Amino acid sequence: MFAFANFCTYFRGTYSVWISKIQVNHPAVLRRAEQIQARRTVKKEWQAAWLLKAVTFIDLTTLSGDDTSSNIQRLCYKAKYPIREDLLKALNMHDKGITTAAVCVYPARVCDAVKALKAAGCNIPVASVATGFPAGQTHLKTRLEEIRLAVEDGATEIDVVINRSLVLTGQWEALYDEIRQFRKACGEAHLKTILATGELGSLTNVYKASMIAMMAGSDFIKTSTGKETVNATFPVAIVMLRAIRDFFWKTGNKIGFKPAGGIRSAKDSLAWLSLVKEELGDEWLKPELFRIGASTLLSDIERQIYHHVTGRYAAYHDLPMS
Amino acid sequence: MRRVIGLILPPTFSFLEMMWRICPALAVGCTVVALVPPASPTPLLLAQLSGELGPFPGILNVISGPASLVPILASQPGIQKVAFCGALEEGRALRRSLAGECAELGLALGTESLLLLTDTADIDSAVEGVVDAAWSDRGPGGLRLLIQESVWDEAMRRLQERMGRLRSGRGLDGAVDMGARGAAACDLVQRFVCEAQSQGAQVFQAGDVPSECPFYPPTLVSNLPPASPSKGSSSVPWPVVVASPFRTAKEALLVANGTPRGGSASVWSERLGQALELGYGLQVGTVWINAHGLRDPSVPTGGCKESGCSWHGGPDGLYEYLRPSGTPARLSCLSKNLNYDTFGLAVPSTLPAGPEIGPSPAPPYGLFVGGRFQAPGARSSRPIRDSSGNLHGYVAEGGAKDIRGAVEAAHQAFPGWAGQSPGARAALLWALAAALERRKSTLASRLERQGAELKAAEAEVELSARRLRAWGARVQAQGHTLQVAGLRGPVLRLREPLGVLAVVCPDEWPLLAFVSLLAPALAYGNTVVMVPSAACPLLALEVCQDMATVFPAGLANVVTGDRDHLTRCLALHQDVQAMWYFGSAQGSQFVEWASAGNLKPVWASRGCPRAWDQEAEGAGPELGLRAARTKALWLPMGD
Repeated sequence: MFAFANFCTYFRGTYSVWISKIQVNHPAVLRRAEQIQARRTVKKEWQAAWLLKAVTFIDLTTLSGDDTSSNIQRLCYKAKYPIREDLLKALNMHDKGITTAAVCVYPARVCDAVKALKAAGCNIPVASVATGFPAGQTHLKTRLEEIRLAVEDGATEIDVVINRSLVLTGQWEALYDEIRQFRKACGEAHLKTILATGELGSLTNVYKASMIAMMAGSDFIKTSTGKETVNATFPVAIVMLRAIRDFFWKTGNKIGFKPAGGIRSAKDSLAWLSLVKEELGDEWLKPELFRIGASTLLSDIERQIYHHVTGRYAAYHDLPMS
Repeated sequence: MRRVIGLILPPTFSFLEMMWRICPALAVGCTVVALVPPASPTPLLLAQLSGELGPFPGILNVISGPASLVPILASQPGIQKVAFCGALEEGRALRRSLAGECAELGLALGTESLLLLTDTADIDSAVEGVVDAAWSDRGPGGLRLLIQESVWDEAMRRLQERMGRLRSGRGLDGAVDMGARGAAACDLVQRFVCEAQSQGAQVFQAGDVPSECPFYPPTLVSNLPPASPSKGSSSVPWPVVVASPFRTAKEALLVANGTPRGGSASVWSERLGQALELGYGLQVGTVWINAHGLRDPSVPTGGCKESGCSWHGGPDGLYEYLRPSGTPARLSCLSKNLNYDTFGLAVPSTLPAGPEIGPSPAPPYGLFVGGRFQAPGARSSRPIRDSSGNLHGYVAEGGAKDIRGAVEAAHQAFPGWAGQSPGARAALLWALAAALERRKSTLASRLERQGAELKAAEAEVELSARRLRAWGARVQAQGHTLQVAGLRGPVLRLREPLGVLAVVCPDEWPLLAFVSLLAPALAYGNTVVMVPSAACPLLALEVCQDMATVFPAGLANVVTGDRDHLTRCLALHQDVQAMWYFGSAQGSQFVEWASAGNLKPVWASRGCPRAWDQEAEGAGPELGLRAARTKALWLPMGD
């Protein structure tokens, strides 16, 4: 649970000093993004270690129209036992308590998730999406009510979506106010603000929205819902990580980062870890400050670990499904 | 095309850089002899590659040897062009030793680049640009970083943070940003940094770097103003970044242009107008806007001022290895006993002339400097005789002081003239052509006195006027866009004026050659200091009388006097940007030798006569190519 941070928030003054002069040059950020993927490669046992670390960052997610209690239960068990026991034993990591960071579901399925995790004897948090996920185009009243109901049901982390229309029409103060209200509705729960960067139009808007979300009290900023046409890409992530670093320099508060959507292979996840390590440093490589929103990523990581331990490529049925 | 090219490459070149120099030469049909230093293994790969060219053995030859072989290679009889890439002092020494040799010399010197960070830039991306330029294996040398004062603290903080994340090590590590460049480079950097520290600079080093010898950590030096000895004299070595503040964009241009180096630069600003203004104003060969270090074979890369004037890539790179068809292969005019110290130093005295024939004595012509006729500093004149030996007139005896005054006047007129639109320049050239035509009878009669037939004289005057009009019409608007693969956005190839151009006209064709050289120089935006034909400068001075009314002051300056003495003054002048010499072979050799002073591009005739009345030689594209310099302006786009 993240403590609610108190910082000076006289909006207009801060806005003009911190945000209005920001410029982001798109081609230069694209070039940096290409370099990162090429320049930090990890092999052999270090790769296995990095992959296990990546597992502990995953928010195992299922956000489909056809979720029912049965697949939620399977998911929660997979969250508790992400990698097969014998593989972990071979790496001597079976007693380190390796689980995923959280389980992420729709608000209506929070009860099922809490029950399943309790039955599995696991205390990882349940994260719920809220505020009209994924489009956010519903009335404010219902959006706030969704948050409250999800918290009542037992979700300890809430992933909200911002109102993109406020960004695109430049109503930064209104955006700030809305997120403040989400923060209040969450109460003690951990707030992740989804910026839906694929719909914000430009990298400069991404930076500004990130800053506003952090100023308004988010514990995490998240790139996307996973349902847009363009989800988590490196250029957008670079801009958001720079915003997190600038916010830390200005206030001393560390805000977390979560990319979501489109991260499917183990190689991708290693690139993401390198990116965070390069831009923010080792302190951010903890589940309290970094999450990866993914569903099929876990099976790919498991297959890579299987290959590392046994030297063979696994078949689909060799590893337990989630 | 030229036939055999000798290529001299420095030890710090990567394989790719070597191929950049070799391939264009091979592509136009020359054969190459490359002299590479023995210390690095890259040349061995090059030699292996050349051995594999089965069907055409011998088109690429690789000699691995020390720097002492350079003059021997350059003076081989078969070599027609020597292209040298490397350090400044060696380039200068080579220029001096090759003066008068058969081979032409192309220099690409220096490795320093410049990064200009304004307050409207994306600072994090500019920091990445600094990493690309100086703290990676892609940049050739160190970096001068100019940061606008209002964002100084922000930029320094981000730079230092970024330096902390750099990793250096052996290339095969797979996760490194930069490697090492040999013990010699390491020593050079150590010395530079120690000197800087002893002059009070602040040095910041960071990064995960092994501490053994050839590895040197990324270094950021600040607090080292231009006046300090170590900053001014040498270029910044790799991997050092020297950061200095500036207040306004105008000041940035002054600081940036205030060094003799003119290789490449990048401008970081999100305001299009400001970025373009800075890009056009920087005196360098390549400008990147919001990027650094981008290269492509179809874009010319080169420099100006002391970075040498040879190009590779793009059309300019190909022209390096070509010469106009019909011009003869170079003849060697090396005279080993030319005394560079005394050439043209003293002015031989002229005997007083007999009485002048004509209705009334005409006053002696002055020098045409700064838009009007002035008396020479030496207050003396020399007589000019016509073809029958009679006195034709007196012209001023110009000297070193007059040259100095002329160059200053030309510099004063330059910004205004270079800033004129092409249409305005064309209009002035056409006005001069019209004035020449009005003066046809006077000019023709003077030419007759010099021994020309009346019809030929009139034809010469008409041709001169036509040439002026033709060059006026050829004045192009700035720049055309190049197609570059892999880049979204245009790359402009701009043709910019050189600056002040010194021209020494040939003895023959006193009017036509004068006009044929004046017109392209002015058309491309240069201002000129001309030394007219020694045999009959009166034609040129007649034209000056029209120029006094038509042209702005200082645009064209004409200095008469002893040709060798004036050549000496112009060739040694550090503020003349280029020189064209059409005189004797000895003079050509001196001019080439003296150009090593500020490495100005030189076009010397080596004593060979030129058919000025033929289109190809008198008004061909070669004149247009030599009258301007290229700048590549990269504009990556996207938002």
